[in-house]
Amino acid sequence: MKRRSFNLGLASSLAAPALIGLGSSARAADGAKPTTIRIGFPGAGTSGRPLPTSGYTANVVFLGELEQEFKADNIKIEWKYYVGAGPALNEAFANGLLDFCFGHGDLPLIVGRSTGLKHKIIASSGRGGDVYLLTPAASQATQVADLKGKILSVQKGTATQLVLYRFLAKYGFTEPDKDFRIISQIADDRRASLATGDIAGTIDTPWGLEARGITKRLAEVHDDININAPGTVWVGEAFEQQYPDIVQRVVNRLVKVAHWSSQDANREQQYQWWTRSGTNAYLDNKKEWDRVKDLRTRHSPLLDDFYKAKIQKSIAETRQYRLTRRDTPFEGWLEPKYLNNALRELKLENYFPSQSVDGKFSG
Amino acid sequence: MSNDTPNHHPATKKDKPARDWRGLVLPIAFITLWYVVTSLKLVNTKLIVPPVGVLTTSFQELGNVDFYTGIGLSLWRDLSGFLIGSLAGIAVGVLIGVSRLADKIIGPTFHTARQISLFAWLPLLSAMVGTGDLSKIIFIAFSAFYPVVLGTLEGVRGVTSAHAEVARVYGFTKTQILTRLILPAASPQILSGVRLGLIYAWLATIGAEFLLVNDGQGLGNIVFKGRMAFNIELIIFGLVAIGLIGNAFNRIADKAEQGLLRWRAPAR
Amino acid sequence: MAVSTDDPNIFPAAPSTQPASVVPSQIWPHAGKLLLSLINTILLGSILPLVLFGLWWVAADRHWIAEQILPPPAFVWESLKDVLQSGELLGHIKISASRVAWSLLIGGSAGLLLGFGMGLSRTFKAYVFPTFDVLAQLPVLGWIPLLIIFVGIEEPLKVTAVSIAVVVPVALSTLHGIANIPRPLLEVGRVYQFDTLQLITRIVLPATAPSLFTGLRQGVMQAWLSVVFVELLSSSEGLGFLMAYSRSLSQIDMVIVAMLAIGAVGILIELTLRLIESRLQGWRRNAF
Repeated sequence: MKRRSFNLGLASSLAAPALIGLGSSARAADGAKPTTIRIGFPGAGTSGRPLPTSGYTANVVFLGELEQEFKADNIKIEWKYYVGAGPALNEAFANGLLDFCFGHGDLPLIVGRSTGLKHKIIASSGRGGDVYLLTPAASQATQVADLKGKILSVQKGTATQLVLYRFLAKYGFTEPDKDFRIISQIADDRRASLATGDIAGTIDTPWGLEARGITKRLAEVHDDININAPGTVWVGEAFEQQYPDIVQRVVNRLVKVAHWSSQDANREQQYQWWTRSGTNAYLDNKKEWDRVKDLRTRHSPLLDDFYKAKIQKSIAETRQYRLTRRDTPFEGWLEPKYLNNALRELKLENYFPSQSVDGKFSG
Repeated sequence: MSNDTPNHHPATKKDKPARDWRGLVLPIAFITLWYVVTSLKLVNTKLIVPPVGVLTTSFQELGNVDFYTGIGLSLWRDLSGFLIGSLAGIAVGVLIGVSRLADKIIGPTFHTARQISLFAWLPLLSAMVGTGDLSKIIFIAFSAFYPVVLGTLEGVRGVTSAHAEVARVYGFTKTQILTRLILPAASPQILSGVRLGLIYAWLATIGAEFLLVNDGQGLGNIVFKGRMAFNIELIIFGLVAIGLIGNAFNRIADKAEQGLLRWRAPAR
Repeated sequence: MAVSTDDPNIFPAAPSTQPASVVPSQIWPHAGKLLLSLINTILLGSILPLVLFGLWWVAADRHWIAEQILPPPAFVWESLKDVLQSGELLGHIKISASRVAWSLLIGGSAGLLLGFGMGLSRTFKAYVFPTFDVLAQLPVLGWIPLLIIFVGIEEPLKVTAVSIAVVVPVALSTLHGIANIPRPLLEVGRVYQFDTLQLITRIVLPATAPSLFTGLRQGVMQAWLSVVFVELLSSSEGLGFLMAYSRSLSQIDMVIVAMLAIGAVGILIELTLRLIESRLQGWRRNAF
């Protein structure tokens, strides 16, 4: 009796993991239409209720565009937020828990593809911006070189890691891990460490923190195309193959919101909305975005030459800094047809200025 | 000092039923120091927050429904994981203890896996199962599993051959051997293993909430939110709550253990 | 497994007048049986690991679980070799281990002092124990957010946090050991009119040695547990850090490598402790 029950027990306990694996990737589908569309954002804000932080893709949530679009089809929209940011989003996708991502940073995006994740890039989620290197308020440092050998903090695996490396490279430090001690912390821990002086520097939005007397800006870079890389909107290959019409409708709405977001009249509304996630204060949003004269240069969904060049440069960088161990093929990754269709249908083909490789806008 | 050796009992009733107030001296001294130091602003009050602030925040939180939801969730995860882990632990412990074959097959793997520090399993677990309740419960069950197995094993091995003789004489069936002989005989060790499992389960609950962060709720999440908002009062409040609940667990476990073992003749 | 000359499996035709001492012609079957049982143990013990490994291999091969979540064993092996060669793994092991060592030293001494203090002096115990008891209930992990704020995030944080984890079991076991010193032993001490130092070294220490050892063992385990936790939460080097960092770069193969390293070190510590314990036991028995 013992041996048989034991064998049974062993067999069933070994089968359990397989069942878990199967269960998590199964999704309710109805042939022609899914019952839910699952969309992920990296980052969950700090207000307790997870919300996206900024950009036109965030506005999609606040405007309720997708819920409107798919109400008649009875398709639910599930928004998912990840405290673990880009890397956690990759894991969720690998486990079959996501269909779209509305704003992946370049590093986790590339890492994901290099580990074999299968998704298609269908739009850009925004580009540009200023980068600030912050130090604790009481810091004596006056230039970046003063921080040499000290502790810098960034959430590793996220796009900001590359931004930090590029920032440091601009100031002459091409081997950041040798010249500094770079630790990994999520946003809130970084800010706490700034306040207590435990780290010497980090990259963050300064205004809200400065107002609270926590930090001061050591160095800043405005609109340097070599430091920021555009964000990405992607869809899982499986979903895209199964429901291309749904993907098209989603992209249509995205472009519509991008258009809405780039109107000056809608600035205030966006600044208000973006405060709700808790990550940035109203002051942060206003100061950063009021400097932007033409919102179309930031809220751009285009997969233009600039976008392509930037992503390819990022791929090279991830190899250079040994952040990926396998190759990331760029071929066949972009799928611009949905975007092009949307621009055509909404008659916005010439609305968003296209950006060339060296950063110049035209059109 | 020799007067204070543990076995030197003065026969007087000096320290009998009356509460020993000396134990409160340290905490009171500490709180007083804390209060004075912050009132006189001798330290950075952003870091070392005044006790009054902690009290205010505590009352705020206690009035907040979310707090109780959070505790409820943490406890639910803890107890679910603990039950699963303990039951599995007793089962495996009995299996290994009774059957030498099972011991040879499962034993080495079990003891080796035991050496992998509990939290080392978390990243892999969360990669495979996510950061939701399921992964937390699995982790908690896992943490309770080991001590319970060890306790059960010890208890089962202690069943002497004399006991087995009795069972044979009475012609017990296999099931009866299990329920009437093994489990009762091993119950002290099983219970002590289960108590340890309870402690580890609570540890794992809090740890999992720190490391498997999602936008869910729980006691660990309260502390986490405190960190996020740089609200030290909240952090302290959360810690105290965690400690008190852990303490409550121990008390309940003590009472339960005493109750369960009462049937044993006071042969000791 | 005791071998008896009466065992028909070994000596099928043993006549009852066989002398009890082992005769040379009986050594070979004896040794053979031992060897057989050894092989038996190894074989049986390997069944489960082999099955699990096989399952892993098949799951990765057939993609039952996404390869980003569970990489194939071959991949993990490659990464293991990689990181061993580059010395990176050893570096992280050393750092984690040194943190544990320091914490054992600091936390262990503090625990011993506390334990002895509370055990030997009723006054001390009356003042300190209630607070200690309450604080001991709080898992170390709970302290960490507060510690991070007060102690910072560098090395002191890690050593402090892990030391706290060590203090509790050591102090408690010491206390327990002292409380359980059999009275007659202390009587002996009183009869011989030992002074305090003699009391401690000749009676208390030897009598409490097993409890001290249990406390040390638990302390080591707690230390190892906490080190991994602290490093997972916030660090820039060490095995826990390696795991967290690899995970953020979706390198689950490295996560598994780090797990294996942690397990290996754990086994090493366990074996060392067992060795010391058996030596200690031997000494104890010989003394009587």
